[in-house]
Amino acid sequence: MSDHKQEALAGESFCACSADPSRRALLAATAGLGAAAGIGAAVPFVASFTPSDRARAAGAPVEVDLSGLRPGEKLVVEWQGKPVWILRRTPEMLAGLKTLDDKLVDPGSSAAEQPAYVSGEARSIAGKEEFFVCVGICTHLGCSPSDKFATGADSGMGEGWKGGFLCPCHGSMFDLAGRVFKSMPAPTNLVIPPHTYLSDTRLLIGQDSKGA
Amino acid sequence: MLTAKELEDKGRQALAWVDERFPLSVLYKTHVSEYYAPKNFNFWYLFGSMALLVLVIQIVTGIFLVMHYKPDASLNAAGVPVAFASVEYIMREVPGGRFIRYMHSTGASMFFIVVYLHMFRGLLYGSYRKPRELVWLFGMAIFLCLMGEAFFGYLLPWGQMSGWGAQVIVNLFAAIPVIGPDLSVFIRGDFVVSDATLNRFFAFHVIAIPLVLLGLVTAHLIALHEVGSNNPDGVEIKERKDEQGIPLDGIPFHPYHVVKDVLGAVVLLIVFSIIVFFMPEGGGYFLEYNNFMPYDQLKTPPHIAPVWYFTPYYSMLRATTSSFLPFLWLLVALIVGLTWRGCSCVWIRRACLLVVAGAYWGFFGLTLFGFTKPPFDLAIAGIHLGLGLDAKFWGVVMMGGSVMLFALLPWLDRSPVRSIRYKGVLYKAILAVFVICFLILGYYGTQPPSPVGNVVSQICTILYLAYFGLMPWYSKLDKCKPVPERLTWK
Amino acid sequence: MSMKKILAAFGLGLILAMPVQASGPAAVLDRAPVSLDAASLQAGAKLFVNYCLGCHGASALRYNHLTQIGLTEQQIKDNLMFTADKVGGQMLTAMRMEDAKRWFGAAPPDLSLIARAKASASGSGADWLYTYLRQFYRDDSRPTGWNNVLFPGVGMPHALWELQGEQQARFVTRDDGQGNQVQHFEGLEIVRPGKLTKEEYDAEVANLVSFMVWMAEPGQESRRAIGWVVLAVLGVLALLSWLLKRAYWKDVH
Repeated sequence: MSDHKQEALAGESFCACSADPSRRALLAATAGLGAAAGIGAAVPFVASFTPSDRARAAGAPVEVDLSGLRPGEKLVVEWQGKPVWILRRTPEMLAGLKTLDDKLVDPGSSAAEQPAYVSGEARSIAGKEEFFVCVGICTHLGCSPSDKFATGADSGMGEGWKGGFLCPCHGSMFDLAGRVFKSMPAPTNLVIPPHTYLSDTRLLIGQDSKGA
Repeated sequence: MLTAKELEDKGRQALAWVDERFPLSVLYKTHVSEYYAPKNFNFWYLFGSMALLVLVIQIVTGIFLVMHYKPDASLNAAGVPVAFASVEYIMREVPGGRFIRYMHSTGASMFFIVVYLHMFRGLLYGSYRKPRELVWLFGMAIFLCLMGEAFFGYLLPWGQMSGWGAQVIVNLFAAIPVIGPDLSVFIRGDFVVSDATLNRFFAFHVIAIPLVLLGLVTAHLIALHEVGSNNPDGVEIKERKDEQGIPLDGIPFHPYHVVKDVLGAVVLLIVFSIIVFFMPEGGGYFLEYNNFMPYDQLKTPPHIAPVWYFTPYYSMLRATTSSFLPFLWLLVALIVGLTWRGCSCVWIRRACLLVVAGAYWGFFGLTLFGFTKPPFDLAIAGIHLGLGLDAKFWGVVMMGGSVMLFALLPWLDRSPVRSIRYKGVLYKAILAVFVICFLILGYYGTQPPSPVGNVVSQICTILYLAYFGLMPWYSKLDKCKPVPERLTWK
Repeated sequence: MSMKKILAAFGLGLILAMPVQASGPAAVLDRAPVSLDAASLQAGAKLFVNYCLGCHGASALRYNHLTQIGLTEQQIKDNLMFTADKVGGQMLTAMRMEDAKRWFGAAPPDLSLIARAKASASGSGADWLYTYLRQFYRDDSRPTGWNNVLFPGVGMPHALWELQGEQQARFVTRDDGQGNQVQHFEGLEIVRPGKLTKEEYDAEVANLVSFMVWMAEPGQESRRAIGWVVLAVLGVLALLSWLLKRAYWKDVH
């Protein structure tokens, strides 16, 4: 505020930061409520960045029929737009998992994202060790690893390869329980989604097992 | 922990650093804290800042809508056009999306309400007169951009009114002689309003015109702050300054006019919220009912009308029939006759002759008031067909011209005073008639054509044109009151 | 002449011109008793799925949107889902477009927004639907055997006929005052009763129409509720900013 004008108005109190206490209070109240209203108005705009109802509906649990899945085969289903693998493991595959502890970053999956009802080196629900359910997304930067089920030197993955997955992007290797090998870019084991068995052959992905 | 004093010093240093590199303090002083605006602004002076607020609302909501909207005319699996379905996707599936969409659709109508009132303020107080001609012209350009923005945007929901509205308006260009038919195909990018049209309209709506609009708004404000604001008395406050060169009747924009504008903004938001939350369709005027049906290229809805803010001009388009042309010609002849009488300059007189001859020929060819005489029949038919100067063409000229006439106001008004407060009964009556005509034209534009409506629209069209065309004479004839030297205040 | 007199004269002319303009062949619509309570909407949803969804889609709606009218996902799955296998799936019609075009000449329109689209100066979209669904009558001259008073020459047969029964329209031939004989509609009467009485049928149609009003804009009630809060806040803000403006301007002379 210019000094000249103040003179022109014969010393009237004239400044925005005036000492007039009632006006100060009023200014604070208006500014405060205005700011609150502004935040309120921002709500729909911020909310519009969150997944839409349609995207959420697409994330609803998916039911899978396992009756046609033979040992050694993998099925891929879409859940929340992500690939979910269901691998039916042979007894040899399961046996191979027990021999890898010293090569793995986290053999007990203590740091991995997995439901509490999943356990052991097979990372499966007790009594359903045969089936391995996981989100087929590498924990490094989000690519989907490829199947490397062949074993031994023929696999091209080295002498002692017992079968597993290889991420094509940065070369992370996982075993048949989605556990990551040492000195790989991926930090943790593959994520296991919530899932539950509705019957022997019907699996529901996206919903937790009860009473586990 | 810094003391308040130290903090203030730091702030001052930071500001000094910026000021050495960018004129921040100077800009703030010139345009805000030491921009002296007249003290006696009344509520009419709130619509400018309101228009700016609506512009901001439209830009922000528009940006968020673009994140979810899809300009695609193809049909989805359910047989609904993708563009149409994406609007409903925003309305139902995007969290908060319905409010963003309603704000945008309501904002379109609010923009025109506020801008029409802002322009009317200009008519009331002579805000277009010297030295504010450029303020007014930039404003007119903004108004034109706004109309373009509204027109292009209205196609995007891809409803029945979107498609058929665009179809009719684009076909207006077909009335232009020789190049018209090709031009309308060129604008659509197809032989009908189609996906190609939708995509280019989308580009114009979301980026091309908004860029121009922002530039023009800046120019409008710079020009305004250069010459200073007008006021309800039409007195130039810069002519009376104190020893320091500050206008005696001026008051700093901040905080005085800022607190006033804030109050105005809140009132506007209340009206805005009532529409958004309780009547988003605005009785079928803001969101037309037929537009809740997807665009069907094979079926025109029984009654199509443009959105309300275009209807005055649409009425004038419809009023321009072949039997109406003689009346238009008489008005042109009257204006030219008055000019001839009042001005002895040879060149202007030659121009007058040219206008009369040109207008007569354009309206009637070589006939007497449109009634052909046998010897000339063929020649006339040839001229008319060759140039296509038929009623349809003049209707289009009328529609565009009636908007552009506002731009001539600074040079048409020859009244010794600016403000309506000191003008005589004559001008007040003429302005009242003009406003009523504008409203009647707007009303009939929303209605299906009818014989009574057409005659009333034609009368109103003539009066609308006469308001501008005869202004140089009636504004001089008017008996004005003496203008005070200082503002009338309280 | 003063400005007021000029204005008055002009206004009078305007008023005199209006009635001539306003009179048009406006349809007479019955007022629909729309109710957005859960019971009506659920009854309406059931009718919609059973009688409408066979031919018309409601593609803007997903089945799990029906949880908003008080149904659980299990209830939706068990009672209402005939055209989708996922509860998050769209409410699409089971009929194929090409079949529809062959059978009815045009694909039946998607009904998601029909309650908003049918609004006009004559009444709300709900009024139109409520009137339309109660005015089908037998007409052997039509390919479907049905016609409608509100929508003459309608392409759709009477989907709810087993509920309403069959109606016959009474027309009388009248002189229109200009020497032309015109068919004038007198009224409808039920010639073969359906499962419901007239009152029951009207109530069921009201439920169906209420559901269609809801589905045209599922969030309409929460929109209004939020509106009151917004207006209250803005009201207080208006008061504060008015006081603030007064506080600043009281010193300006």
